[in-house]
Amino acid sequence: MAQIELTGTSKRFVTPSGTLFTALRDVDLVIGPGTFCAVVGPTGCGKSTTLTMVAGLDRPSAGTVRVGGRPVEGITPGISFMFQTDALLPWKTVLGNVALGPVFRGVAKKDARAAAKQWVRRVGLAGFEDHHPHQLSGGMRKRVSLAAALINEPSILLMDEPFGALDVQTKAIMSNELLALWEQTRPSVMFVTHDLEEAIALADQVVVMTAGPGTVKAVYDIDLPRPRGAVQEIRFEPRFLELHHQIWASLRDEVEAAYARTAQGAQP
Amino acid sequence: MTSVVGSHTATTEASVEVGIRAAVRRRRIGVWAARLATLVIVIGGWQLLASAKIVDKFFWGQPSGIVSQLSDWVRHGTTFGSIWLQIWITLKEAVLGFLVGVVAGVTAGVLLGQFRFLSDVLSPYIKVANAIPRIVLGSLFTVALGLGIAAKVSLAAVLVFFVVFFNAFQGVREVDRNLLNNARVLGASRGAITRHVVIPSALTWIIASLHVAFGLAIIGAIVGEFLGAQRGLGLVIANAQNNFNPDGVFAAMFIIAVMALTAEGLIGLLERRLLSWRPPSPTEAVSA
Repeated sequence: MAQIELTGTSKRFVTPSGTLFTALRDVDLVIGPGTFCAVVGPTGCGKSTTLTMVAGLDRPSAGTVRVGGRPVEGITPGISFMFQTDALLPWKTVLGNVALGPVFRGVAKKDARAAAKQWVRRVGLAGFEDHHPHQLSGGMRKRVSLAAALINEPSILLMDEPFGALDVQTKAIMSNELLALWEQTRPSVMFVTHDLEEAIALADQVVVMTAGPGTVKAVYDIDLPRPRGAVQEIRFEPRFLELHHQIWASLRDEVEAAYARTAQGAQP
Repeated sequence: MTSVVGSHTATTEASVEVGIRAAVRRRRIGVWAARLATLVIVIGGWQLLASAKIVDKFFWGQPSGIVSQLSDWVRHGTTFGSIWLQIWITLKEAVLGFLVGVVAGVTAGVLLGQFRFLSDVLSPYIKVANAIPRIVLGSLFTVALGLGIAAKVSLAAVLVFFVVFFNAFQGVREVDRNLLNNARVLGASRGAITRHVVIPSALTWIIASLHVAFGLAIIGAIVGEFLGAQRGLGLVIANAQNNFNPDGVFAAMFIIAVMALTAEGLIGLLERRLLSWRPPSPTEAVSA
């Protein structure tokens, strides 16, 4: 568990045509240790960029990113990242993929495989250890990614629309499993999503970002009790609907602003 | 066949299956028959035209002459010793050149693919080197390294190097950024990333280049022998040419083709073994 702190963080890119593009501007955000934080915002508001900077894969152009009180330099230790598309190695089996984390950290191969076997069982894929990723369904590949991310027992889990490509039912099942696993070890989570319902059902804290250049518009505390139970059912609770209503009112303006901009850009 | 639903009995389904299998078998037999016919027409036509003196066998040879040349070599050997020795020498040159070229090409490709600065610095020189007709280097190697095996191995290695290098380089450049980032976040060192992510990913590209590369290794060895040698199939060909013996040229060509096809088969086996993780492609599924 570690605290994530962004102070006045900005990120600018030089586009291939040579102009300067501001993805993030003056982001101030604190995510307490063990907090499950969901970040919502329109497409292209810099949500993913924020994650890559917390992971240390990218540097801020201005401001600071601190994790556990220390400024991020190089890859942040104790971090796991679940990407939007599978980051599984297609030439390794399920077991080989899950064992990568410990292997990279220098754990003996035998111990790494034993640990991986346990995690494969934990995400419900016992019996599929020797399958290759292309032999699995989308939901099963996500389970492998989840096991691969959690096997290092991260203090911070970064998730970039991890279930975005799944069908609705599979997504709900995966969300339930994620919550169950998260409650066992309680890492701090930064969960980027488009789906406001998903955000409220999972998180302690929902951050709404503005249309690009992205900055924090508002932060909402989700006071739904834990353990949350099935995400399919929680969305009918009155408090859930109230929160959804409130946050959507804030998010809608940004989505519309972003949409208007792309629609304008599409015109000749 | 959308009308075959539910109410129809299992026997219809079984008979449909039998029909499909029979059709597939008929097609396969047809293909093989046509292949055989093609061979008979080409070889037989050549032989007929040569016997009818429409094609001059003094210049173009004839199939029966090639066969007797081959059997003569097997029974009495060539001017330069047994035919098996010539094959062994050429094979040794080609295989050594191939190995040297592949190792150097993969190493250079993986290095330059990963170090952007290095590849930016060297890219114009590589382009120039690639534009040069490298086969001409054979003359230099023959002068510098003599009539022995070293000159041929060097020429074969140079030809192989560039093909493998460009594929390895491209393969490394095409590695999925997600996979790299994921490995970095999981705590992989630079070496571990190269070993677990970059090389396996580039392997598809590298292996594709090996098919072409072995052909080039044989060309390098043969041309090297043309330019000056004491043994080898290239020397046998050059000797046949000087003696106005087209059958000898064709016979040596036939031996080289058998060598190349064998190597191709071995590389295919290697490919299937190393890339067994790949999902079967649709065409493979059909022909299975």
